[in-house]
Amino acid sequence: MSESGAQLFARLEARRCLKEIEPRLFPEDGGPDHGEVVELYGTEGTGKTELLYHLLCRCVLPKAAGGLEVDVVFVDTNYSLDMLRLVSIIDSRLNPALSTSSPIAGSDEEALRSCLSRLLVVHCSSSSQLLLTLHFLENSFSSRPGLALLLIDSISAFYWLDRCEGGASFAKQEDKLSKCSELLGRLLRDYRITVLATCHALRRSHRGTSSDSHRPYLCRPWQRLVTHRLLCRRQEAPNNGSAAAGSSEEQGRRQVFTVHCTSRGTRAPRSSSFYVTDGGVEFT
Amino acid sequence: MVVLRAGMCPGLEEDLIRDLRAADIKTVEDLVSSDIEELAQKCSASYKALFAIRRVLLAQHTAFPVSGADLYEELLSSTAILSTGNPSFDKLLDSGLYTGEITELSGGPGSGKSQVCFGVAVHISHQLKQSVIYIDTTGGLSAGRLLQMLQTETSDTEAQMEALQRIHVFRSFDIFSLLDCLHGLSGGGLQQASVGGGSVKAVIVDSVSAVISPLLGGKQNEGMSLMIQVAGVLKTMAKDFNIAALVTNHVTRSGGWRAAAGPRRVVGSHPQNQSSAGAAGGGRGALQSLLGHADQVLQTAVFHQRAVRPAVVESLQRRNLWKEETGRDRFLTRAN
Repeated sequence: MSESGAQLFARLEARRCLKEIEPRLFPEDGGPDHGEVVELYGTEGTGKTELLYHLLCRCVLPKAAGGLEVDVVFVDTNYSLDMLRLVSIIDSRLNPALSTSSPIAGSDEEALRSCLSRLLVVHCSSSSQLLLTLHFLENSFSSRPGLALLLIDSISAFYWLDRCEGGASFAKQEDKLSKCSELLGRLLRDYRITVLATCHALRRSHRGTSSDSHRPYLCRPWQRLVTHRLLCRRQEAPNNGSAAAGSSEEQGRRQVFTVHCTSRGTRAPRSSSFYVTDGGVEFT
Repeated sequence: MVVLRAGMCPGLEEDLIRDLRAADIKTVEDLVSSDIEELAQKCSASYKALFAIRRVLLAQHTAFPVSGADLYEELLSSTAILSTGNPSFDKLLDSGLYTGEITELSGGPGSGKSQVCFGVAVHISHQLKQSVIYIDTTGGLSAGRLLQMLQTETSDTEAQMEALQRIHVFRSFDIFSLLDCLHGLSGGGLQQASVGGGSVKAVIVDSVSAVISPLLGGKQNEGMSLMIQVAGVLKTMAKDFNIAALVTNHVTRSGGWRAAAGPRRVVGSHPQNQSSAGAAGGGRGALQSLLGHADQVLQTAVFHQRAVRPAVVESLQRRNLWKEETGRDRFLTRAN
């Protein structure tokens, strides 16, 4: 297949490396390099989405505000992107000094818009649509050299649907995601992008041990792609009384989440913890 | 999965499809993922034609990327905040139910979830003059109770009847009829329901766990799959038609439901005289709301509150109030 000079240039010109996307999360000098895949793994309510928004903000924020200023594609597979929340986080990062009650001023709005215009959002409603969309996105990657990150929230959204649709054959159940993974592998190689995907941990009804639920369950081709695995956990609150259901907002704020990062290769794993505030993730 | 058919796009003729089938290319996904050059040789078709077909099919079936800035703009202009009719409950929910989102009420039996649903339905239909879809999966909806609530709002019988007419009740007692009902609503039912008066602004499902929980457990996957389908169709409907979805759930930790539906705010409600001590004493800023329903005082606490910057909420409210003033739309937002 032929490609134009501009396409070749866009493809080969060094895309922004995301190694310093969040130094507090990854091992020293071990951030995601070109063509690497990061998987955020955990059950619901373990801070995956907040962490994803945090990393997304780091990418789209202008350099002046400490961001990387790169373009991002957000593949939203279960309509989970909460724009209002994302805007709140970007907003608080853009003007950390302003008090929370001040209305959005004109110039802030401008800066916010320019951050948001670095973000492309795609909604997918089935695994076959995800596959087709990834094929389609290849054009975007080749024409926009600024695109450095592909976010998928979440890669496991169609797991049960595929399991059910595939009938008895295990290969058929995993067929779509395998194809997506193979395609992603090619995109990673050809366009040197970085992929960040969330994956919901399965809750097994007949689990023997608790560690069982952290076992990867998505298809092999996907597992082979993953270079960094961030295991998200919610730290049990020390004074967690019987009022878990009615836990106050105050307690919710102080909820600490831990992330355990394991990378392929010899790099040592690293743990970090954070809590969630109105303005997004704060590392401790 | 989209099966290749003749006439799907220009150039995709009957005999080409036969050739493609012979080469084990049956669906659009197969065609798009295959190597066109190899395929052209195998089917003895022209490379150019196949390439064009691939491009058209891809454009037809893919999801299109939207710029975040446009999405935000659209969100600001389309999102409305529906007041629930109870000022303190509104305060709890960042001033009300947001359209395009799922709000979940969770709590044990007898904790007032349904009563909150009734109250919201009555308020939206009577005060905001908008239609409400009420999907009852437990048989717990009582028209008498709705009327009773309306009678406390107004003594005008005609207004009461009008309000009741704007509440469209669907009964579905198993997951298949629920799915059928939701699909029916997305595919034209909503427009039909809004013919009589205000457009549909809220869909209430009371309760979602009643149809889902019997399917979960065991080693079958069907339950999970169906649950995710319900979550998906509800969420798509909320987003596409700008509807606030309110669901109740009596199961506090139901595995994949929260992951799949991602309800924005989970409100735990429980009778005050029981386990409320924890919620009340759980901290200084415990947001509480007292809902006077029947003769029991209920206390609710949001424990999964999205922290939106007040400025954003304010600007949303401003925009929607402006709309109200200019009469372009009759959203009602201001909670107090």
